[in-house]
Amino acid sequence: MKHRSVPGEVTPVDRIGIVLVGAGFIADAHSGAIDANPRATLIGIVDADPARAAAFARKQGGIRHAPDLDSALQWPGVDAVILCTPNDTHAPLGQAVAAAGKHLLVEKPLATTVTDAQRLAAAFDQAGRVLVAAHTHRFYDYGRAVKQTIESGAIGRPVLVRLAILGGWIWPDWSAWVGDPARSGGHALHNGVHLLDLATWWLGGEPTSVYARGRKQAAAELRIYDYLEMVVTYADGATAVCEMSRAHRPGSLSQRELLVAGTEGIVEQGWDGESSLVFGESGTTTLPAAGGNGFAAQLGAWLDTIGGAPPAMPAADAVRAVALGVAVEESIATGQPVAVAA
Amino acid sequence: MISVALVGNGGIGSQDHQNTMYRPAFERHPSFELVDDEDKAEVVSVALPLAERGAAIAAAIRAGKHVLADKPMAATLAEAEEIERLAATHSVVVVPAHHQRFGAALRSATAAVRAGRVGLPWNVQCDFIVAGGDPAPTGELVNFGLYPVDVVSALLGLEVRRVHATGSPELVTLLLDHEHGVTSTIVCGRIPALRDLPPGGLAVHRYRISGSHGVLAVDATKPALRVRTTTANGPVWTGPGTVDALLDVLAAGISNGHAALGPRDAVRTQRVIEAAQRSIAVGQPVAIGAPVETGE
Repeated sequence: MKHRSVPGEVTPVDRIGIVLVGAGFIADAHSGAIDANPRATLIGIVDADPARAAAFARKQGGIRHAPDLDSALQWPGVDAVILCTPNDTHAPLGQAVAAAGKHLLVEKPLATTVTDAQRLAAAFDQAGRVLVAAHTHRFYDYGRAVKQTIESGAIGRPVLVRLAILGGWIWPDWSAWVGDPARSGGHALHNGVHLLDLATWWLGGEPTSVYARGRKQAAAELRIYDYLEMVVTYADGATAVCEMSRAHRPGSLSQRELLVAGTEGIVEQGWDGESSLVFGESGTTTLPAAGGNGFAAQLGAWLDTIGGAPPAMPAADAVRAVALGVAVEESIATGQPVAVAA
Repeated sequence: MISVALVGNGGIGSQDHQNTMYRPAFERHPSFELVDDEDKAEVVSVALPLAERGAAIAAAIRAGKHVLADKPMAATLAEAEEIERLAATHSVVVVPAHHQRFGAALRSATAAVRAGRVGLPWNVQCDFIVAGGDPAPTGELVNFGLYPVDVVSALLGLEVRRVHATGSPELVTLLLDHEHGVTSTIVCGRIPALRDLPPGGLAVHRYRISGSHGVLAVDATKPALRVRTTTANGPVWTGPGTVDALLDVLAAGISNGHAALGPRDAVRTQRVIEAAQRSIAVGQPVAIGAPVETGE
């Protein structure tokens, strides 16, 4: 492992030096995971907004900061990059990381087109570096528990996944890049891929077709679908019904429901499966259990893979998630099922 | 007392709903009495094998009898439409056994949705999953599919315009497009027997109705007690059963000449089921035309 250092600090040689790119809200989750992991150290932050980069750097105790990735890739001690920028930048910035010979953890989706996703995966394969897309739900407690239950054989062969992640509008205003399909790829690429990947990982099957319906519920003028219903059919006849919503009311709703049916049983977690209820003066709300830190688990798995372990989130699966997301958007546009290449 | 004759004790596969469901419900209902002579009965309860059912119901209607029809009411949409027409012509009450819509939680939910408690509904999600019992040789779409389709119809009061279906004969997913851009999704079928559930019992029966101003989550296996003992763990349904409520509707319909559930509901669900069958066959969504008005 290369020696890494931050000015004024002595860093253990076995730590992976990481640069965060994009100082938006999700960067805090990643930096928190880095802070909690003795195998990683945060070298610096990159953001196109210099003031935002500087503020983030100060908050982290005075780490390096820069307005561009190219500069940061030259910093000493940098082994890896976590990319938290708008989705349409993942492909070009990811290619720069591969060209610099660094490892990459990129926020989902891997890219906004299948071609870009495939090229990115190929670039890291050729560079001999680890590429992981942040399909964080694989690392959440519930995601892992369902996978373990299926792999234990307790419910036989899974034939149906029902997965719903429901909430109200979370993005700020009309200028939010996630609301611009040219930047986000659409909601199927932005958030839908979480469910498409998770359901496919649970089922362990090969998707063959996608049928989807989308809705612009919060406002007719939306350019993305704030409610998505995505139905995937698999080669073995299994079905996944995935709902992704930022359209529900009340806006405070935050609800997840899952059902997996197999040839020998079922696994369920309803809306009350991990939450308590608060009956308050302003209404009734759920109180989620504390649980584990999915971002920390994800970071740990990425570091494991950098160290030689098999990938917990293979790049090929991230490419597949992009293909499914693209198929969802196409199915909504055409109103027809879309075949997914095996 | 309204006299009732039981006609048939068959159904799909090994079903005998006449003796397991309708006979005991008639016997305990205060408005009905069972008679042996079909000719002297005001009502016939028809639970014949599906291939014979539609013709027997039509004959009973022509004879001026009111009918409780096992589900599905007929084997085909054409048969169902003919029954609807005949019932109107002969001024008799025909009640198809879509009894699931009368579960206590669903009656409340239907009233709440129709009263605007969640605003304008825009989506319904439903799981109707039975555990154990004898698999239907027709596939479970024909056997169970009409129950949740009928409940969604009751909840929304909206016609279905398009149907897409996928899955297997045991477990099918229906994606319905209704009027006004409203959508619904129904997962329906049978899984293997589960511990502590009676064979053929509902393992999952729930609905989520999303509206412009709220969400209604309905667990239709309730109201129930949760009973745990040293040997068993399971729910105990409380309140009137759904078949008892169905007979209430039949009795009220005979009394006032119009039942809250009728052959039009069977036609509506059969239309969706047949569209789903076509969708599975062609792998594409299937459009449903505007229903023909009959005056029923």
